Amino acid sequence: MQPTITKEEIMQVFPKVAATMADALGCDVEDIELDVSLIEGLDAESIDFLDMVFRLERAFKIKIPRGKIIDNARGDLSEAEFEQKGVLTPVGLAQLKVYLSEVPAERFREPMKVADIARLFTPETFCKLVLMAQRETKAA
Amino acid sequence: MLDSGLAGRTAIVTGGSRGIGRAIVELLAAEGVDVTFFYRDNVAAADSVVAAADARGNKIASDKVDIRDSQACAAAVDRVAERCGRIDILVNNAGMIRDNQLAAFVDEDVQIVLDTNVGGVFNVTRAVVPHMIVQRSGKIVNVSSVAGEKGGRGQTNYAASKGAINAFTRSLAVELAPRKITVNGVAPGVIETEMSQPVRDLAGDDVLARILLRRYGTAEEVAYAVWFLTSRFADYVTGAVFNVDGGFKME
Repeated sequence: MQPTITKEEIMQVFPKVAATMADALGCDVEDIELDVSLIEGLDAESIDFLDMVFRLERAFKIKIPRGKIIDNARGDLSEAEFEQKGVLTPVGLAQLKVYLSEVPAERFREPMKVADIARLFTPETFCKLVLMAQRETKAA
Repeated sequence: MLDSGLAGRTAIVTGGSRGIGRAIVELLAAEGVDVTFFYRDNVAAADSVVAAADARGNKIASDKVDIRDSQACAAAVDRVAERCGRIDILVNNAGMIRDNQLAAFVDEDVQIVLDTNVGGVFNVTRAVVPHMIVQRSGKIVNVSSVAGEKGGRGQTNYAASKGAINAFTRSLAVELAPRKITVNGVAPGVIETEMSQPVRDLAGDDVLARILLRRYGTAEEVAYAVWFLTSRFADYVTGAVFNVDGGFKME
């Protein structure tokens, strides 16, 4: 079961997430729309993702373990149920679509490689990441 | 006088209580850098570095950290970041030797050298780099050795560790260039330190015959190269490994 995150919760953290991401990407905060693809729309590179994570950790006083988005997406599935040789299984892909519900269906490729998952990420993905980390911090 | 741009910067130097590390710590501190050095176990040596700096009015702090322990490294780096607000410079200097013929090694001779010399560089650098990425600046200098490029009897473990550091330096330079963080190496030859004493005692004449300048180097002479690579004069240098070896030839 994936925990539900409401649109209201996302909109609460979005302004701060957007400001933090704009700092990391060196762009205007207005460019950070909730559903823009970070790689294809904002030219983010892999080091930018690390930069964003480090800044979000500081801004929200949370810990985001490396690889957390994929782990969250995988949910209860075992690694073998989620992917085989770097390609998502049909079950894994279905699960990813649920987790990344903000991403339009046509942006998911089939077959979908694990390495290409980051291409789907949007600012909303990072809002959810922050909210999940906040819940885990509270629960701990 | 030329301004190195170092005054007011903050630095972490590993293995800073003795030898080359101590010379690096003291030179950077003399330039106005707020230096924290890590050391493994020699509390008396570490305290004497800090006391000497206090007497000169320089800023040097020490922290006892086993760099083979990644969590200890992360915690120590966070302490520096908290105290200083930023980390501008990292000098990975800590290293050890355990020389012997390959066939005579026991497991620990190999493991401890690789864990300290290579594992330590990974552990400390992994903890520091997030700070530098966010700052969009930083200078990393890895102290390697001529042994990383040239063969030497009894040093397969040490040579492998130093060759690894050179490869690490070049790859990390590529990775961090988008954030204007430079990564370079300094490869000393035979330097007059406690660590090289056994080699110098055992094969001094042989070794000197291979050094073009016919003398051993001093820790300060290595520190000057590190100083250059951490200063603004080296802003356009990255992925380089700089030899400070008096022109060393090895078989």
